[in-house]
Formats: sequence, C-alpha cells, structure tokens
Amino acid sequence: MSKFRLYLEENNRSPVKQLWREFKRQHSAMTGLVLFVSFFVISLLAPFFTPHDPYLQVDDLLLLPPSWNAAGLVQYPFGTDDLGRDLLSRMIKGTSYTFGFALITVAGALLMGLVLGALAGMSKGVKSSVFNHILDLALTIPSLLLAIIIVAIIGPGLLNTTWAIMLALLPQFVHGIRNAIDEELKQDYVIAYRLDGANNWHVLTRLILPNIWEKLTIMATMAISTAILDIAALGFLGFGAQAPLSEWGAMISDSLDLIYLAPSSVAIPGLLILTAVLSVNLVGDGLKTAILKRRQN
Amino acid sequence: MTRYLFRRLFLMAFVLLALSILAFSLGYLFPGDVVQNLSGLRQIDENQRQQLIGYYHLDQNILQQYMAFLSRIAQGDWGLSFASQQPLLQEIKLLLPATLELASYALLLSFIVGIPLGIVAAFKPDSLVGKSISAIAMVGYSLPIFWWGLLLIMFFSLALGWLPSAGRIGVLYEIPHSSGFMLYDILQANINYRREALYNAMLHLLLPTIVLATFPTTVMVRFVRDAMLNVWEQNYIKTARAKGLNRGQVLYRHGLRNALLPVIRQIGLQFSTLITLAMLTEVIFSWPGIGRWLIDSIYQRNYPAIQAGLLVISTMVITVNMLTEILHAFFNPLARRG
Repeated sequence: MSKFRLYLEENNRSPVKQLWREFKRQHSAMTGLVLFVSFFVISLLAPFFTPHDPYLQVDDLLLLPPSWNAAGLVQYPFGTDDLGRDLLSRMIKGTSYTFGFALITVAGALLMGLVLGALAGMSKGVKSSVFNHILDLALTIPSLLLAIIIVAIIGPGLLNTTWAIMLALLPQFVHGIRNAIDEELKQDYVIAYRLDGANNWHVLTRLILPNIWEKLTIMATMAISTAILDIAALGFLGFGAQAPLSEWGAMISDSLDLIYLAPSSVAIPGLLILTAVLSVNLVGDGLKTAILKRRQN
Repeated sequence: MTRYLFRRLFLMAFVLLALSILAFSLGYLFPGDVVQNLSGLRQIDENQRQQLIGYYHLDQNILQQYMAFLSRIAQGDWGLSFASQQPLLQEIKLLLPATLELASYALLLSFIVGIPLGIVAAFKPDSLVGKSISAIAMVGYSLPIFWWGLLLIMFFSLALGWLPSAGRIGVLYEIPHSSGFMLYDILQANINYRREALYNAMLHLLLPTIVLATFPTTVMVRFVRDAMLNVWEQNYIKTARAKGLNRGQVLYRHGLRNALLPVIRQIGLQFSTLITLAMLTEVIFSWPGIGRWLIDSIYQRNYPAIQAGLLVISTMVITVNMLTEILHAFFNPLARRG
C-alpha cells in the first residue's frame, strides 16, 4: 500500500546506521541486546568470572540452600549441589556450554549453509530440482529428531551434539539462503550488472551478499534460539554434555532427583535458559521490526 | 487443481522414497553388526546367520538389499526390538495412539486459545491488552519445554497435589484396549466405573496437554497477530470500511477470512514441532507414547527401534504436511501456483 512520504530532513546515513536508529527505539529489543551481550561476554570470560571452582567438591557444604534462605551462605549465592559444588560458578561455566556452543553451532551452520545455498541458488535445472527435493525431506524431519538420530549414530557428548544440531539446522539455512538468492536474482540491478559483463561470482559477492545479510541475521538469531533450546534439551535427555560438564540442561536433569530437597537447583538453570532464549528472540524481533521500518522509509 | 495435486503427490512419493533410503542406510550406519541391526535378534549362531544373510540378501548388491528392505517394510516385517525381542510394528501400533492423542489435543488447544488471542492482540496492538498478549507469547515462545513441564509438576503435583504427574490413567482403573485412544476406549468399554475413569484420564491428560500446547499456542498467537496486522493494512479493508461496514463486520467478512487462510498451513508446520516436543513431554510425564519409547531406545542402543521410529514419525509428519498443503491449496487458489 502506498503511504505518504514526507522528506523533512535529508537522510543520507548508511543502512547500518539507519537500522541501528530504528533498533534503538525499541526498548524491548535494547533490553534483549544488553542481555545477549552480557551472556556473550560471560560465555567468553567464564573461567575468570567464577567465584569458586565449578568442579570443586566441598564435602562440608553438601546441598547448601541459596543465600536468601536462612541456612544459606553469602559466599554461595545459589547454594551448592549434592556433591558440594558451587551452583553459581557452575551456571556461569554453563553459559559457555549452552550459550557459547549455540553460537558456534549457528556460525558453523550459517557458513555451510551459505556455501550450499549459494551453490543451489546459482545453479538451475535438474541439479537444483533434485537438491530442492532432498532439502524438502530434511526440512520435514523435526530438527530435534534429526539431532537425536545423529547422536545415536555418532554417540553422545557435547561436541557431537554440536555437530548434530549444526547438521539439523543446515537445511533451513540452505533453504532460506537459496530463496533469498532466488529473489535477488530477479532484481533489475542484477540483470543490469550482468549486462555489464559480471560473472556469477561478481554478482554473488558484490550484489547478492550485501543485499541478503539482513535476512541472514534474522535467520541466524532464530537459529540461535533453536540451538540453545536443542542443546539444553539434548543435555537434559542425557545425550548432550556428559556428567561433570555444567551445561544448563544437564544441570536440570542432574538435580531432578533432588527436586523435593532443592527445587531451586531445578528452577534457576531453567530460568537462565529462558532468559538466554528470550534475549535472542527479543533481539531477533527487534531486528525484524527495524528492518521493516528502514525499508519503509 | 488436478495438476497441482499430481505434482504434490509426486513430490510426496519422492520424499518418501528418499526417506526410505535414509532409513535403509541407518541399518548400516549404526555401530555394531549389520545382521543384528537389521533383524533385531540378539544372539545369532552361525547357522542362523547364514540363513539371515540369505533372507536380507546381504550377499547380493546394495540395490537388491534395498529392494528387499522395501518389500519387508511393505509386508510389515520390521524386525524385532533389541530390548523386548517383540516385533517392532506391533509395539509401535500400541504406542502411537497415545502420542497422537496427546498431540491432537494440544494442537486443538493451541488453536482454540491461540487464534482468538492473536486476533485480540492485532485488534488493538498498542493497548495494554495487546501488548501483554504479545509479551506473554514472547515468553512462552522462549520457554524450554522440559523445564516448563517440571515447573508445573512441581507446583500442581508436588506442592498442591491437585493433578497427577505421570502416566495416562490411575493404576486402579483397568481399561480394555481397543483403539489405543484412552478417552475413546473408556467411552467404548463396558465397565461400571466409566465416569470415574474418564475423570481420572482427563486429570492425567491436563498437564501434559497444557505443556505441549504452550509452544504451538504462542506460535499461533504471533502468527495470527502478524497476519491480521498485515491484512488490516490492505486496501480492501479500507474499501470495506468506506462502504460503511462497522469494525465487526469488516473483521468477520474481510479480515478473518484472509488472515486465517494461512493458518491451515500452520497445522502442517506445527505438527512436526509438536511431535518433537511431544517426545520431551512424554519423557517428563512418563507418557507411554512413541516419543518416550524412541528416547528409551536410544539409551538402550536399540537400533532397529530407532530406525522404525524414524520411519513412522517422519512418514506421519510428511503425510500431515502434504495433506495440509493440499487443503490450503484447495481453499486458496493463489497457492496452487509455484
């Protein structure tokens, strides 16, 4: 629908600056960004942050309640688990496992997806059609089921989970990137550039990639939230991070048999997962709105 | 429409073919002995092994092995489960209704709750009601489902003691098995404690359904809200308003019909997520469905069961997906292209 456009001031700012301006206006998105950045920093610097050694078992302080409880200690804000390990330190360390590995997973999937999506998007004919149908199959199998089957083949473990989720996320990336490239290829400026003598590589790197990066960012943020939830879910089921590692989902399943004694040791890691996913989703939603508004102006 | 139908069915046949190749190759990809993985037999002596190699055409080339695999699947010989040494197809037939029952109630709930909330949120997007619906949907969208389930169990089952936390029905009630769908079985059964059993089964169903419905509901709210906001911007809405229809009439005659059309497609898309989430829900609530069985199979390294589970769940997802696509195209001529 056409809208009135008022050109009150000259707006020659770069697209990124315009995007940032639109993004900044949304409070929820900014809150999400602050949370996201803090999770990111914590996951990078986790070893230097932890007040105690996350694997140190203190025999005298088994199942210490959180510090807001009368029996708690202020040195152990969230208390300790049944082996006397400090829960706060474990949760901080767990940030690198759940959140950090989710970022790595998505980065890997994005990179592979970009290569495969570009190959699929730029090719035509039978090759592309067969490829599409294989993608359709991979897209219909639920990602967690795919990840579980891959884990069943290569065995449990955090690193294997990362590979499995990477592979499970790949189809949607390839599909999305291929569609985005397809859409770009129809644009008039691509045809004009081709008439100037540009080959596929030039078109891809100079025109298509700069024009689809916004879609890529949105796809990546959606994938990060899926990856966090999948890593935590696999950890919870016992297919992901193994015993001593303090991955959040695994922490929940570890403290499951203590649910009567120490409900907070189940509640707090889950709250962290929720916050992490929420921050990613808020940033993703904010980006989506900002991009829409920037396009409209 | 006919042409569209043919193309869809062809695509489905192709996808199912590719799926069967994937399932077929799993038997070789899984660790361990191929003969064991295919047959599901635990102990195989030399004599029997030779027999099985002949039966599975393992001495012939890969294509013939694949053809043999297809004919076995078609005949219903899916091998045995490592764990129970029972035929897999029989086990799945007993388990699948439980999952379908749970998933369909959750899907229904997500529609009943999600669509009206989405419409309300779109009607006044900047009001307090609209904003809080969006905010709640956002939080629900980010909830790790296993934790959410545990939280509800902690509150309603452990703290308050209102609702049971595991199983489909109390152990006191014996329900004769006919269809596998619990509520239907109870209504059908010739028992004098029908009312109590029904009440008990409903109580057992309540928490898992709510947990499983949370994610699809929030997706629904967000989807309907966005679709409504989008439709509300269109010119034909302006025209309808200019004609003198009031908001309710515009909403009913022009808004909803256009905004809710893509919802049909969502059924198919949601179904796949729903089945995945059902696996987690079943584990938490000890629901005797195919999801929990599949996860147990992975713990037990029950490879034939994993293969069969993949085959059944994916076929189901693909079929539902395809059916809703066709249904959507049936109602929306625009979707028949491409």
